[in-house]
Amino acid sequence: MGLREDLERFREIGDERRPDLAEFIREGDLSGSSRDAVRIPVKLVDLPSFEYDQRDMGGVGQGQGGTPQPGQPVDVPGDPGDADGDEDGEEGDPGEDGGEHGYYEMDPEEFARELDEELGLDLEPKGKRVVEEVEGDFTELTRAGPNSTLDFEQLFKRGLKRKLATDFDEGYVREACRVAGADARDVFEFCREEDVLVSLAWIREAIAELEADGVSLDEYDDFEDLAARVERDPIAARIRRDGLQQVPFRREDERYRQPEVVERKQKNVVVVNIRDVSGSMRETKRELVERTFTPLDWYLTGKYDEATFRYVAHDADAWEVERGEFFGIRSGGGTRISSAYELAAEILEEYPWSEWNRYVFAAGDSENSSNDTVENVVPLMRDIPANLHAYVETQPGGNTINATHAEEVERELADRDNVVVARVAGPEDVTDAIRTILSTEGGEDA
Amino acid sequence: MIHDERVATRRVAAELAEPAERARELAEKLGLRPYPVNYWVVTHDEMNELIAYDGFQTRYPHWRWGMKYDRQRKQDTFGMGKAFEIVNNDNPCHAFLQESNAPADQKAVITHVEAHADFFRNNEWFGRFAGEREDPDAAAMLERHAETVADHVSDPEIDREDIERFIDAVLCIEDTIDQHRALAAERGDDGDLATDLVDIEERLDRLGLSSEVRDQVFDTEWVDDQRDRERLPEPRPDVLAYLREHGKRFDDEEGKAVEREPWMDEVIEILRREAYYFAPQRMTKIMNEGWAAYWESLMMGDERFAGDDEFLTYADHMARVLGSPGLNPYKLGFEIWRYVENSANRREVVDKLLRVEGVTWRTFHDVIDFEEVGDLLEPDPAIAGVTADTLDDLDPEDPRVDADALARATEGDLDVDAYPWAVLTHEGLCERHFSLAKPANRGFLRRIGRSELERVARYMFDDEVYPDVASALADVDYGAGWRRMREVRESHNDVTFIDEFLTEEFVVEGNYFTYEYSEAAEGYRVASVDPDDVKRKLLLRFTNFGKPTVAVYDGNYDNRGELLLGHRYNGVALDIEQATQTLERVFDLWGRPVNLATIVTEYDDHEVEIARRRGREPAGEEVPIRLRYDGEAVERHALEPDLAEQIAADDIDYDTTPEDWLA
Repeated sequence: MGLREDLERFREIGDERRPDLAEFIREGDLSGSSRDAVRIPVKLVDLPSFEYDQRDMGGVGQGQGGTPQPGQPVDVPGDPGDADGDEDGEEGDPGEDGGEHGYYEMDPEEFARELDEELGLDLEPKGKRVVEEVEGDFTELTRAGPNSTLDFEQLFKRGLKRKLATDFDEGYVREACRVAGADARDVFEFCREEDVLVSLAWIREAIAELEADGVSLDEYDDFEDLAARVERDPIAARIRRDGLQQVPFRREDERYRQPEVVERKQKNVVVVNIRDVSGSMRETKRELVERTFTPLDWYLTGKYDEATFRYVAHDADAWEVERGEFFGIRSGGGTRISSAYELAAEILEEYPWSEWNRYVFAAGDSENSSNDTVENVVPLMRDIPANLHAYVETQPGGNTINATHAEEVERELADRDNVVVARVAGPEDVTDAIRTILSTEGGEDA
Repeated sequence: MIHDERVATRRVAAELAEPAERARELAEKLGLRPYPVNYWVVTHDEMNELIAYDGFQTRYPHWRWGMKYDRQRKQDTFGMGKAFEIVNNDNPCHAFLQESNAPADQKAVITHVEAHADFFRNNEWFGRFAGEREDPDAAAMLERHAETVADHVSDPEIDREDIERFIDAVLCIEDTIDQHRALAAERGDDGDLATDLVDIEERLDRLGLSSEVRDQVFDTEWVDDQRDRERLPEPRPDVLAYLREHGKRFDDEEGKAVEREPWMDEVIEILRREAYYFAPQRMTKIMNEGWAAYWESLMMGDERFAGDDEFLTYADHMARVLGSPGLNPYKLGFEIWRYVENSANRREVVDKLLRVEGVTWRTFHDVIDFEEVGDLLEPDPAIAGVTADTLDDLDPEDPRVDADALARATEGDLDVDAYPWAVLTHEGLCERHFSLAKPANRGFLRRIGRSELERVARYMFDDEVYPDVASALADVDYGAGWRRMREVRESHNDVTFIDEFLTEEFVVEGNYFTYEYSEAAEGYRVASVDPDDVKRKLLLRFTNFGKPTVAVYDGNYDNRGELLLGHRYNGVALDIEQATQTLERVFDLWGRPVNLATIVTEYDDHEVEIARRRGREPAGEEVPIRLRYDGEAVERHALEPDLAEQIAADDIDYDTTPEDWLA
């Protein structure tokens, strides 16, 4: 029906106009997504028209309980960043067209693939923990086994080979017995020279039979005569002519198939997200952290079979939080970054390095208590084995004097290949930071 | 597409035949006059498809239908916006019911549909398209359109993507029509669009001028050079028609504007016609949905059309439709209709009461015993409670009784318990359902304001006609309310409907308010509860489909064949980003540079900061501008003062932000 085509065409266009991920990360609305579903608001698959500016237009609502008071907040659907209130704003007309925001939804795997393409990454997740021994293909062969796994093909082939190897032209040999003056031994030697695989015993028997049948044993003058007058019958021709009467099967030809034992290693990852929530981390910085960490988390979720996330907030102390609170928290205290790494180290004890891939991402504005970086954080970063230790410095408007953490980490840990520092001064730096972080990993063994 | 072969569908359809007939009968007795309706039962998915196609089975090929379908299916899946029915405006109407609806739902839907069919038939805005023949001929028209476009699509000479892009461009401005125009006169009897357009000679013929006059006035030069006109004496709101007539297309290779392909003109006209066809529906949505909800409620609720056991399901159904919080357009319409009915009935009753000896408009509230009045207004028990057992109480001579039906009922040919209304006439039903007698409306009579009383009394000459209240009320015309409703449904559209009937009483009772965006608070806040403000805001939302009015101001701007569109500024600014994108599409339909004159509000950053800190709204400055797109880039220019004057409207101020708002 026409509608099927129209639907297809709509999907095609939707794919074409999907906003690129860099734009989404930089300035898109991240709130519509969750851990497992990346939702990119797409308002593009619709046509523009002459419309009023929504905010200039305002609207009409109906109060639910009593007279509304001027100044009360109103919850207007479709407008991000409005306050929650008691009153309700306008309902959209069901089914009315124009300017609606759909979204393009992708799961983390797809997100990771897309990001790979866009940013030119190729992170290969490593399998670490052996989860189970799985049966692989039935490629191993053993001498014994249940009947159902008998590899008949093998049996037949071997039997056939045996037949081909041991079969001989009986007629020819019999004729050879009729050479004048040749006894069994002579015939035997003759056959051997002719590559006819016959046993001495068989020849003796054949001669005896011939005698019993009264067949002349002087038919041929000598072996040359025989060769000249009797044609050999090659086995292939014989089989073709007479068919494959019998293939000798032997016990020792039996082969049984067994499954290969394959070790399946689960590709799993634990990501510890650390964030400085001290007083200096204001709204803009917080948003930058969110814009950087969220895509990283999605990426890793998409790349690994299993991804676990732990969230650590710190000021002068560190404590663990839930994802929901992680980006919003703000405390008033000073900053001691090592507290977070101490807690991280504790947390990571649940995830042994031998079994888990680990990422430790920290973000802040590079402010730290004096000497804490060099004396405490750096050693911890060295000691905690991980695929990657990253520090994201969110410092809009350039550095302040005391913000040296990033610098020091870079300097002290320059020898390590699993440490990376990225600086984000504004939204436009986010995708570069992500690229830097994700392309640094390399070189260490599972 | 309609699978009549399926047993389930047939069974459901058969079950609905009787209710459909009865509903039609009841509707007519209630005073409605609907188009004939064909009912179809469809599956869930078919319903979604129909909705995507606006209630029709065939539309021209385009991705927008796919988008609508996708959206509808998503809403449906998530349990929101379940569509019970869809009915289209045509003669006969086609109504599609979901096969999975419960029987009570189906009956509700049928009554709802009958009311819609009445609205389509009688509202004059629909009549502007349907003409006197009362024949929208919609399904056939849309099918023809679909075929025409499909033919072009399969034409090897035409690039399919060109067609799509062209349709895209036209759709961007499909609302720029003159919806107040009667298109019926323009529609020929048989729609061979190509000849309709191309042959201007024929069109001139139809004007019926003498050949002398014609040759003098409309000489070949004029016919050829139609586009080289000076600034239009009056702005042309039908932008699509203008573009179709005078627009060209920009040819990349030649680097200039060239004549369009014939298929392009056809496509514009097709989409334009469809816009005109759908315009009345969009202009009367509140009214229409309210109308349907009202009659459905009456038939299902008051007349128990559903039957007792199904009643609860029905109540639930209604609650769902009308119950969602916030401003629900259906609810708004429904409530305004009830208000129209009550007001007219109240006026009628007051008119009678003021003619009672000793009652004047001044003494009205003191003298009248409203309890007594309420009781007296109750319908005659014989009319209100008709059952098989009370048939004897009905007098066949009574104008409120349908004598034939009564006879049949007495003989047992008519199930009076199921359909008590069947033995009554329209007059009887008017009394049976008199709104002011209903408990919900008891206080309405008393709430009449003194100024209205005075107005009613002002030209009353015979004001001492009745000795007492009882005799006055005996003369009340119970049909006043419904009669007024019928008049209104004929003549009004949403804008006039709201303008006239959204009174102070209505706003206050309903707790309506306006809201505006506050820069200081960075969010929306309640702005005003003043009824005038509320009304203005609503009118803003419904005038011109809730969109800014854009018209053609000049077809030869700057003497360089540029198009000048003007936004008729009413104090609410355009969404500039969308306007810019739309302007770019307009270029595709004009061929030469296109301009848009509008007024924007600019804020000084510093001012905004200060205002925000002080919790005040920053004062912006209104700046008239002209956007110009030449195929490459959009430029912004200052707008000439006289043009700025032309597009600025001074009458209505839609901004309802109060002075000391958030202080």
